[in-house]
Amino acid sequence: MTATQNVSMPAGATPPASARPTPLRTRRRGRFGDRLLPYLLLLPALVAILVLLAWPLIQVLVISFRKLDLGELVRGKLIWVGFDNYSQTLADPEFWTITVRTLIFTTAVVAATILFGLLLAVLMRHLNPAIRILVQVTLVLAWATPVIATTTVFQWMFDQQYGILNKTLDRLGFHSFIGFSWFSTGPSTLTVIGILIVWQAVPFVTFTLYAGLIGVPREQYEAAGIDGASPWQTFRAVSWPAVRPIMTMVTFLSVLWDFNAFAQIWAMREGGPDGGSTTLAVVLYLKGIAGSHFGVSAAIATLMLILLALITGRYIQLLVRTKEGDLS
Amino acid sequence: MKKSLSQRVVLSVVGVLVALVIVFPTYWMFVTSLKTPGEILSPKYDLIPFSATFENFASALSKENFAVYLTNSLIVTLGAVLCALIAGTLAAIALSRLRFLGRKGFLVLIMVAQLAPVATLFIPLFLLMRDAGLINTLPGLMLIYFATTLPFTVWMLYGFVNGIPYDLEEAAMIDGCSQLGAFRRVTLPLLGPGLVTTSVFSFITAWNEFLFAVVLMKGDKQTLPVWLASFRTAFGTDWGGVMAGSVIYAIPALVFFLIVQRKLVAGVAAGAVKG
Amino acid sequence: MKRWLKLAAGAAAITLATAGCAGSSGTDAGSASSSAPAALSGTVTVWLMTGSAPTKLTDALNKEFETAHPGVKVNYEIQQWDGIQQKLTTALAGNTPPDVIEIGNTQTPYFASTGVLTDLTDAKADFNGAQWLKGLAASADFDGKTYGVPFYAANREVIYRKDMFEQAGITKAPTSNDEWIDAIGKLKTKFGSDPDFQALYMPGQNWYSLLSFIWDNGGDIAQANGKSFKSTLDSAGAKAGLEFYKKLVDTSATKAPKDADESKPQQATVYGAGKVAMMIGLPWELDTAVKTDASLKDKTGAFAIPSKTAGQSAPVFLGGSNLAIPGNSKNAAAAKEYIKLLSSAKYQAQLAAAGVVPGTSTDTSGLDSSPLGSVMAKASVNGKAVPASAKWGDVESGQNPIKDMLTAYLTGKKTLDQATADANAALDKLIGG
Repeated sequence: MTATQNVSMPAGATPPASARPTPLRTRRRGRFGDRLLPYLLLLPALVAILVLLAWPLIQVLVISFRKLDLGELVRGKLIWVGFDNYSQTLADPEFWTITVRTLIFTTAVVAATILFGLLLAVLMRHLNPAIRILVQVTLVLAWATPVIATTTVFQWMFDQQYGILNKTLDRLGFHSFIGFSWFSTGPSTLTVIGILIVWQAVPFVTFTLYAGLIGVPREQYEAAGIDGASPWQTFRAVSWPAVRPIMTMVTFLSVLWDFNAFAQIWAMREGGPDGGSTTLAVVLYLKGIAGSHFGVSAAIATLMLILLALITGRYIQLLVRTKEGDLS
Repeated sequence: MKKSLSQRVVLSVVGVLVALVIVFPTYWMFVTSLKTPGEILSPKYDLIPFSATFENFASALSKENFAVYLTNSLIVTLGAVLCALIAGTLAAIALSRLRFLGRKGFLVLIMVAQLAPVATLFIPLFLLMRDAGLINTLPGLMLIYFATTLPFTVWMLYGFVNGIPYDLEEAAMIDGCSQLGAFRRVTLPLLGPGLVTTSVFSFITAWNEFLFAVVLMKGDKQTLPVWLASFRTAFGTDWGGVMAGSVIYAIPALVFFLIVQRKLVAGVAAGAVKG
Repeated sequence: MKRWLKLAAGAAAITLATAGCAGSSGTDAGSASSSAPAALSGTVTVWLMTGSAPTKLTDALNKEFETAHPGVKVNYEIQQWDGIQQKLTTALAGNTPPDVIEIGNTQTPYFASTGVLTDLTDAKADFNGAQWLKGLAASADFDGKTYGVPFYAANREVIYRKDMFEQAGITKAPTSNDEWIDAIGKLKTKFGSDPDFQALYMPGQNWYSLLSFIWDNGGDIAQANGKSFKSTLDSAGAKAGLEFYKKLVDTSATKAPKDADESKPQQATVYGAGKVAMMIGLPWELDTAVKTDASLKDKTGAFAIPSKTAGQSAPVFLGGSNLAIPGNSKNAAAAKEYIKLLSSAKYQAQLAAAGVVPGTSTDTSGLDSSPLGSVMAKASVNGKAVPASAKWGDVESGQNPIKDMLTAYLTGKKTLDQATADANAALDKLIGG
């Protein structure tokens, strides 16, 4: 991800116009080894995902139809309650408020993350190596610091009495900020939490987009330059197509992660004030790990999954369809 | 695109400013780790610290079993990263370069597998580990981290392999390389940035994971998150210690990043030269 | 190919399904018998929370236990607070649960109600049953049976700066609410010119203190209602308690945040900065303050939380832990012997000396040597606990309606009636029914 940005073309090859690979035509048809090859390559990943992710996911669905509190868990008792966990959850008016809040919060955080990530990636491409590594180091530090530390630091920075932000604002002349509480309402609390999440999420997006950007051969940029394109046009014609598939991917992942974000929200104000910063992930925790009502939490988890699947379903459809148009 | 000097200066200034903004919370964390408890909650304006004490670091490092927890964390994390990279690259090649029945299904599976965060799968995964006898074993924890970072790794590398035109490999094969050789010499180096990002992502995810680290492991098989949690006692939290601990905690991830990104400079350069 | 994979996955799934659903290897909350078998063997795994018992105590205890029972090895593990809930849940459901665990007294009813603990009713005498701390004992009982042994408790008191009191002309510690308010006034007169001074540091969500005021006014959080509980946060006593809390906050003009409890920021550290005259806290908070300023040790004293009735002290919340034996422990016999030893007068006295109220011994003389400790010991006689509801765990580990009620009322967002009504409904939702 650093100094060498050139991808020199082997002599005689046509300049790669698109990022689509040409599929390999199986040369020696009928050879058992070759037919088996894809599955062999896939096997480790497939087994791991099926056993450790897919199967537990199905179990969560099954558990959502059980009453599974601590007693039942320890004694392995099976108590089926049908849709009770679901009706209990969906009948609660709070649940819908929380869902809407979660959706708005997720959208805002994802948008901010992607925007800043893209800007940073483009900036990084144009920086000289020393400064670029400096920026990269700061990004990795933000990314790698444990959440317990970052939430605490943010709480201190925004603290009513001793926070550096209020102190600085006071120094700059905004005296009304002495003792100002940034956590007095749900939305303001969520804003501070949002800033925290974005700060720790941007590095990943930046690195990924940057990795995509430097894969674009220099020649393309030079060609655009020769044609007299403005920076914006260059971006649209050269950078954007290279980055777009990755962009959709990181957006998808950001939606997943931000929708499910829990630790920061809980550590900041435990879903307060008065439940104002509670999202679905917080409810999941309250019912599940905190309250040990695992049947109910499984139902909530399933509902969250359905919601996510609805939001991202279109993208999954797109991905599976566009590639090569081949049937599987 | 050759930039003019003024353009370069402006960009550099912007770059430095951006770095300063991004690093501020980290800076604040570091500065706090150098403070005594009284200084942390002080009404004084202390953007630049007045004094520094290293006792928080000293007491954090000298905490019982730090070295053991550190070793365990390294084993589990590096193991998970390595496994994820290997399995992920193999799967990415198959998905991108080959056509076979079940390809689309696998792609959908990867997506769906990511919808649920680890916390949601807490109970089923715990039961799985228990019944497989993997509770309180390093391989057990490694498997969980491997599995949680795998879908992302596969998908990310899939995207990157897609982005590397097959023509390059074909050309190399025309020049006499075998299929595997072409992949190794041409595609793999170009995959460099993708490998770096996925390995750093896997590392950080595994390194910072708390729930399973605490629940599955006991005694001297425990990993570093437990050490970090030990700063929070019944008598209150040792905030200086937490900050010092977090600084220490973030360093291996930073080191890992610096190592892999430099090794891959060589890889990409070599790949570019060999063509 | 695809079908083969499907079959393999299916086979694996079925195997795992049957394994997973089988749950842990049979549990039987067998009852204890007081005549333990003579020769014990195996290992006894003991999980105590960090900071509960001093290392000196546990080292001596483990050594004495192993000497007395040569066939048994003690596997003593200190547990961290972060994640302990998850750890206990999974440990109890695991194949090799610990044999002795420490559970907070507010969480014990939940564990007891789910039948995952060993019934200890018949062995109460072994554990000094007659001397159990009343406030803790209630939390260990469920449905007429006993599932836990009180370990230790602590209660709050008003920690104050003796030197500041002297300078402000306050000759003796307040023994009534009126005297308390009066003292705040005097302190403000004397030191109020310093903008950082606070007569009383009172964060908005210190609900344990609120409990004292509610109880002092004859109210309670909830009342038993058959097998469950009904919230009484909107009763006259509760409202009076809440009003007094506000009075303290307003009169002292404390700068503490109204939307956080005493740990955010750590009130002991604020006290340590030297500009606070009083805070309501636990004796060991002084140790934290001393880390910032060692001179505070001699300058600090304590008095019991005053009552509205002169000469009495307000009831206090007893926070503490119980010891319990998981129902599917593999070595319950050894576990009982261990708890027996820990509940003996010798080690309980060491607990008192360490600064907490012992759970199975009425001898609190160990606390008398510490000025803060002796005040706490005296006040603990008047100690009460939260409703012994099996659902109380949801309140404390989740979103506490009492805390929200405090903040809403103190910040003026809700009126007294509105705040208590909302909290009442929220609490009913959590523990009622």
